[in-house]
Amino acid sequence: MTVAKESEEKHARVLLVDDEVVFTTNMSKILSRRGFEVRAVNDGESAIEAIEDEEYDVVVLDLRMPGMDGIAALKVMKRKRPLLEVIILTGHGSVESGIQGMNLGAFDYAMKPIQINELQEKIEEAFARKLLQEKMARKSERGSH
Amino acid sequence: MSREVSTAADPDLPTEELHKKSYSSLYRRFILLTLICSVLPLLVVGWVIYSNYSSFAYSRMEEFFYRRVEYNRKLIELFLKERTNDLQLMAATHSVNYLGDRSNLQRLLEKLNQEEAYFIDLGLINEEGKHVAYIGLFDLMDKNYSQTFWFKALTAKGGFYVSDMFMGYRKTPHFIIGILWSDGNKKWILRATIENEFLDSLIGNVKLGETGEVFLVNREGIYQTSPRFGGKIMDKSLLPIDSFEGEGGVRILEPGESRAYKKQPSQVVGYAWLKEPNWVLVVKQDYAEAFSDVNHANTLALVFLHLSILAILVVSFLTTKHMIGVVRKRDEEANFLNRQLMQASKLASLGELAAGVAHEINNPLAIILTESQLVRDVIGDYPDFDREFKTELTNSLSQIEDQVQRCNQITHNLLRFSRRSQAVPGLVDVNACLEEVVVLLERRGITSGVEFVIDLDKDLPQLMTHPSQLQQVFVNLIANAIDAHEGKPHGTIQIRTRANETERGAEIMIADTGSGIPQEIIDKVFDPFFTTKPVGKGTGLGLSISYKIIKDLGGTITVLSEVDKGTEFKIFLPFGSAKTGEGPADDSRERI
Repeated sequence: MTVAKESEEKHARVLLVDDEVVFTTNMSKILSRRGFEVRAVNDGESAIEAIEDEEYDVVVLDLRMPGMDGIAALKVMKRKRPLLEVIILTGHGSVESGIQGMNLGAFDYAMKPIQINELQEKIEEAFARKLLQEKMARKSERGSH
Repeated sequence: MSREVSTAADPDLPTEELHKKSYSSLYRRFILLTLICSVLPLLVVGWVIYSNYSSFAYSRMEEFFYRRVEYNRKLIELFLKERTNDLQLMAATHSVNYLGDRSNLQRLLEKLNQEEAYFIDLGLINEEGKHVAYIGLFDLMDKNYSQTFWFKALTAKGGFYVSDMFMGYRKTPHFIIGILWSDGNKKWILRATIENEFLDSLIGNVKLGETGEVFLVNREGIYQTSPRFGGKIMDKSLLPIDSFEGEGGVRILEPGESRAYKKQPSQVVGYAWLKEPNWVLVVKQDYAEAFSDVNHANTLALVFLHLSILAILVVSFLTTKHMIGVVRKRDEEANFLNRQLMQASKLASLGELAAGVAHEINNPLAIILTESQLVRDVIGDYPDFDREFKTELTNSLSQIEDQVQRCNQITHNLLRFSRRSQAVPGLVDVNACLEEVVVLLERRGITSGVEFVIDLDKDLPQLMTHPSQLQQVFVNLIANAIDAHEGKPHGTIQIRTRANETERGAEIMIADTGSGIPQEIIDKVFDPFFTTKPVGKGTGLGLSISYKIIKDLGGTITVLSEVDKGTEFKIFLPFGSAKTGEGPADDSRERI
C-alpha cells in the first residue's frame, strides 16, 4: 500500500497505443480524470517516437495495428527503455500472442473490453513496479560505484 | 484425388452410385479370375484323366477279349484235333478187314466214347462212297456219299477233313470228321459224326454278362453253334464276316456298320479264325456292358468333377462376396474419415471466422465501455443535476455496461471455442467445457422451450484429452437433445458430471425428455449416415463422429432410450495418466 501511495503522489505517465482513435481519446480523458498523465498515439511508429521524445512509466499497447504491430513495437520499446512497463490490451483472443508478449517483458495482458477500474489497477501496479525497479537500479548503481 | 474433390463438392448420391458400380464390376472380375484359375485347370485335369483312363481301360478290355477268344479257339481246336487223332489212330492201328466188321466197329465206338459220347456214329466207306460198315442210330448202310460235299472235299484234300455243320440225311445239325487213307491199292474213309451239342457245350456255356455271347461262324456266315441271341444254329449270321481279317483280333462294331446291326448298340467283338475247319470264333458283348466298369468309374469321376466345380463356384462366390464386403467396409470407413476430416476442417474454419468476428466486436465494445465511463465521469462533475435524472442515467449506464459485459462473455466463448478447435490434447476441465457449450446452445434451447438442469461435480479432476473434440461431442449431444423436443411444448435437458473413483474416470450424462429412440433402431444410432432427421437437416454423422471421438479418447458412450420418455447418453472417460493437472499453463489459460 505504501507503494500505491507513492504512485498517487507521483502521477504515472501513461502512453496509450491503439489504432482506434475514439478509444484512445475516450480512454485518455477517463484516465486523465483519474490523475494519470496520458498521451495517446494511434500506431506503433508514433509510439516509438513518443517514448524517445518523453519519458513514460506505463504503456497500454494494442497488439493488432496497421503498420508496426504491437509485438514489434513492444520489442523496440523494451530495448530502448528497459524499465518501461507495458500492458498489452487487445481484442484478439490468441493465447500465443499473449504468451509471446509476456515473454518479451510485458507486465500484463488483458482483453478488451476492459472495465476502467480493472485497467486503472493494472496501470497502478505496473507503475509501482516501475518505481521499485528504478529504486533498485539506482541502489545497484550506487553500490557498484 | 479427383474422387475426393468430387465428394467434397457434392455429398451423397453420385459417388455412392459410382462405388456400387465399381463393386459389382470388381465382383465380376474376381469371380471370372477364380473361375479361370481353378475351374479351367480342373476341367483340363479331368479331361486328361478321363481320356487316359478310357484308353487304358480300352486296351485292357481289348486284351481281355483277345485272351478269351484265343482261349476258346484253342479249346475247340484241341477238341477237334483230339477227335481227329482218335480216328487217325484207329485207322492206323486196325486193318480194313477188322474195321469192316460191324461188331468190331461197335467195340471201337464204345472205346472212343468211353470218356464221353463224342461220336454219334462211325462208318467205314470205300472209295465209291458206299458204307462198308456202319454203327449208329440211323440206318445209313445203303447211302452213297460219293456226291456229298465232304466226300469230294476229303478225296480232293486227303488226310483228314472236318466239315461245316450240315443237316445231311438225318435232318439234324451235325458235322463230320473224315479220315482218308489207303492200304495198298484201295482208298478207305473212316467217317464219324459229332453232334452240335458238343461244340455248344464247349463254348455255349461261356456266359459273358448280360449281353455277351460266344459262337462259331463259318466263312459264309452260317452259325456253327447256337448263338445266345438273334438266331440259332445253321442260320445266317448278320455279322460282317468279311471284315474279320487276319488270324484274329478285337474290334468295335459300330451300329450302322452293317445293315442288320443298325438298331443294336455298339458291340465289342473279339474273333479268331480256326485253322481247320474254316470257322471263326466270335466273342461279342455290348460295348456299354463291356465298358460298364469304366463307364461307372468315368461317371463317378464326372460327378466328382462337377461337385468340385460346384464347390469351387460356391466357395469363390462366397469368398468374393466376403472380400467385396471387406473392401466396401474399408471404403466406407475411408469415406467416413474423409467426411469427418471435412467436418473438422469446417469446424476449424468456423472457429477462425468466429475469432475474427469476436475480435472485431471487442473493439467497439471497448469503446462503448469508455463512452459510458465518460458519461459517468461527467455526471460526477455536475453535482447540481436533478437527482432523479441522475439515478435514471446511472441505471441506464449500468444497463449498457451489463450488456457490454454480456457481449463480452459471448465473444470470449467464441474465442475459446475457436482456440479449442485447433488445440492439441491437454488438460481439460470437463465442467468448464460443458458450461461453454451450454452457453452457446442455451438460446436455442430456450426458443425450443427446453430448460437446462445442470449438476456438475465440482471435484471432477481435469482430464488429459482433446478439448475441441470433446466440445464437439457435447455440442452434438446437446444439439440432438434440443432437437429431440421438436413438437413438444417444453422439456428439460439434464447434464450431470460425476467422478467415478472405482473405475477411475469421469461420467458425463446428458439426458433429455424428448421423443426418444425406438428400440429397433437404437443399435444403429452410432452408424455413419444414419439419421432420423428429414433430408437436409441432419448429416447422420453427429453421433457416429461422437462415438469415434469418445472411442479414440479411450472412453465409451452408451445410449438408453424410451419412446416419448426421452434419451440418455452416458459418456465415460478415463482419467488417464495425468489425473489432476495443477500446471501453471492452466493459470494463464484461465485468465484469458
